[in-house]
Amino acid sequence: MNEDHPMNDYVEGDPEDWVRIISVDGFTFLCKRKVANMSETIKNSLDEAGGFSEAGTRTYKSQERGIVVQKMIEYMSFKAHYSNVGPKEEIPVNEMMDRLPLEILLELMLAADYQEL
Amino acid sequence: MSGRRNNVRGPTSALTDFLREQNITATTVAARAATQNQPVAGPSTAQANHAFDNADNAQEARGSSRSRRRRTANRDYDSDDLDDPEAPVTKKRKANSSVAKDKAKKLTKKDDDHEDEDEDNDPYTLLSKMGANPRPANGSIEKCAECDKEFSVSQYTIAAANGPGYLCHSCAKKLGNDPFKKPTAPRKRTKAADKRNIVYFEERRFPTLVSLCINVVSTHIDDIEAFGDIGALNMEAISKAMSKKRSLNSENVNLFYGAGNTSLTLYDVTKLSPAALITLGHLNPNLTSLRLDFCGLISDEVINSWCTSLPNLVQLELLGPFLVRAPAWVAFFRSHPQLNTFLITQSPRFNLECLDALIDSSSKTLTRLGLREVGLLSDDFLEPIGLLSGHLTYLDISEPSISCSNTAVIKLLKKAGFTLTHLNLSGHIGLTDEVLQCGLLPHVNTLDHLMLSNLPLLTDEGVARFFSQWSNPPLTSVESSRNPALSSKSLTELLNHSGEGLQYLNINGWKDVGATALGNIATQARNLRSIDLGWCRQVDDFIMKSILDSCKSWLAEVKVWGCNKVEGKWVTSGTRTKAKVSGIERARTSF
Repeated sequence: MNEDHPMNDYVEGDPEDWVRIISVDGFTFLCKRKVANMSETIKNSLDEAGGFSEAGTRTYKSQERGIVVQKMIEYMSFKAHYSNVGPKEEIPVNEMMDRLPLEILLELMLAADYQEL
Repeated sequence: MSGRRNNVRGPTSALTDFLREQNITATTVAARAATQNQPVAGPSTAQANHAFDNADNAQEARGSSRSRRRRTANRDYDSDDLDDPEAPVTKKRKANSSVAKDKAKKLTKKDDDHEDEDEDNDPYTLLSKMGANPRPANGSIEKCAECDKEFSVSQYTIAAANGPGYLCHSCAKKLGNDPFKKPTAPRKRTKAADKRNIVYFEERRFPTLVSLCINVVSTHIDDIEAFGDIGALNMEAISKAMSKKRSLNSENVNLFYGAGNTSLTLYDVTKLSPAALITLGHLNPNLTSLRLDFCGLISDEVINSWCTSLPNLVQLELLGPFLVRAPAWVAFFRSHPQLNTFLITQSPRFNLECLDALIDSSSKTLTRLGLREVGLLSDDFLEPIGLLSGHLTYLDISEPSISCSNTAVIKLLKKAGFTLTHLNLSGHIGLTDEVLQCGLLPHVNTLDHLMLSNLPLLTDEGVARFFSQWSNPPLTSVESSRNPALSSKSLTELLNHSGEGLQYLNINGWKDVGATALGNIATQARNLRSIDLGWCRQVDDFIMKSILDSCKSWLAEVKVWGCNKVEGKWVTSGTRTKAKVSGIERARTSF
């Protein structure tokens, strides 16, 4: 087999790219790829090497409602920022917890589980 | 301790060497000091101190030679440390108050061997203070400068901070100069690395959104109405999500209870105490079906309580109820004569008596029986199971401690096999092809799921022959892992027999199965949902590509652990699939 396309170094999207996440009720969210990559499922589907069709259009169609998607993206930005923070900084987890409204909590938990968040 | 010669022979400082060369010894300096009583230049002051002390010591009753030796040792130690600002200051006897004050300050982390001393910052004044208050002899009685108590002077007596005089042991300790105190270990600085990992929910991991949600659920468990009404299907998904990290506990499990519930499935109840499990029964009185995984804490008490609190229960599935003793099981069966499903995994205590009780009470209704990993399973058990003939559809007696024999199994299949749709005989290592030929072949014709893993005595020809002759309709799932003797013939006949119906195939461990037979999977088994080809060494990228292409509609999972030839090249050749392929070794780098 010709090895002109080595498997190891596949092209990953530029983390500063913008990607689109669409909720099931029609809301569109634009966010940076590095934020979207916090979710394993979104990362895999937008990953060009994975062979999924979403990779080309840089759009991910979520099966969740807009509110839920919004909260997830909020969490993903929180995670993206604080994952790289220095060792001495406190991560304000409780703040994030306070921002989860009870009404969508269970739906959010299921969505988070699916998204491997 | 005292008098120990310091055996360290290291490089001495230039100073020491110089002094030695010049023949400046303790005695010469002392003589000079005594006569002149004037400040002498720095280094030799140290010498003078030594010399003076030595002269002083000579008058003492005991320990003079000892102290001289110590002095010598100290001297080396001293001069070596002259340049080191942090060096522990050697302790020498000082007959001086101001020096004692500095001493008091500097007395930390020192060797017990050395007495308090003070490498005075001001060597000029040092010598002038000498001779003012010669230290009283060891053993003599002195009055304490602080508390006026009488005490006997020892090697460790410290001079008072202000004014002449010495301190008794207790006053010295109050100042913090306890010479008997063990040196404090230096406090370790918490490394930055340890500080970084904040332990909130899991150590060393950024808290996941799922865990955050679970925590909020737990805190607000009393406001269940606020969560909104979620259907039963979602409840199951939620219980799965919470069980993943073993987050289910006695508080948040209440989320799943309801007087109207008829079925309850909890995937990890490790953290539920027996009391909580009893409560489970009380709060869900209308349950007809109950499944609890990892229920190690279920005790006799719980089962006894369920006898009355769950009157409508007809389906019970428990993973891990190893604490329950035979009498409790018997009582439970007697109180539930209408059981139709009884599946347990892992119980060393479930014995023949229990089984008899079960069959006695529920023989008319029991359709599904599972006694997986039940330690006491034996041929005797198979007798009463035969009594279930006519309605038994699901039988799982896999992974016993001791294998059942061919005859017993064949007998059982003869009696009860004709209604079976699911059969699991994995792990009965004593079974041979005979079971297939004389047990399954003639008597079992309605099977959908067949599990025959880890039956090392099965042969390739035997299995092939069985599948070629069997009149059963195509199987839906076949699990035959860990049977290294089976190979291409078996696979070919299996595919011929069940190819159209197969949705789940596990031939992990069929190491010799050939590429042609494997290739047939793609052509004959298009409805596969999940396939495990682990350790089938002949699997390679071509076979993978054909499987992925042809089983496109349904395939969700492919496992190829141990298949070295698989490299994942089908992606670049354009095969797109939603199947999850796991087990590919890292692709070899090209040169």
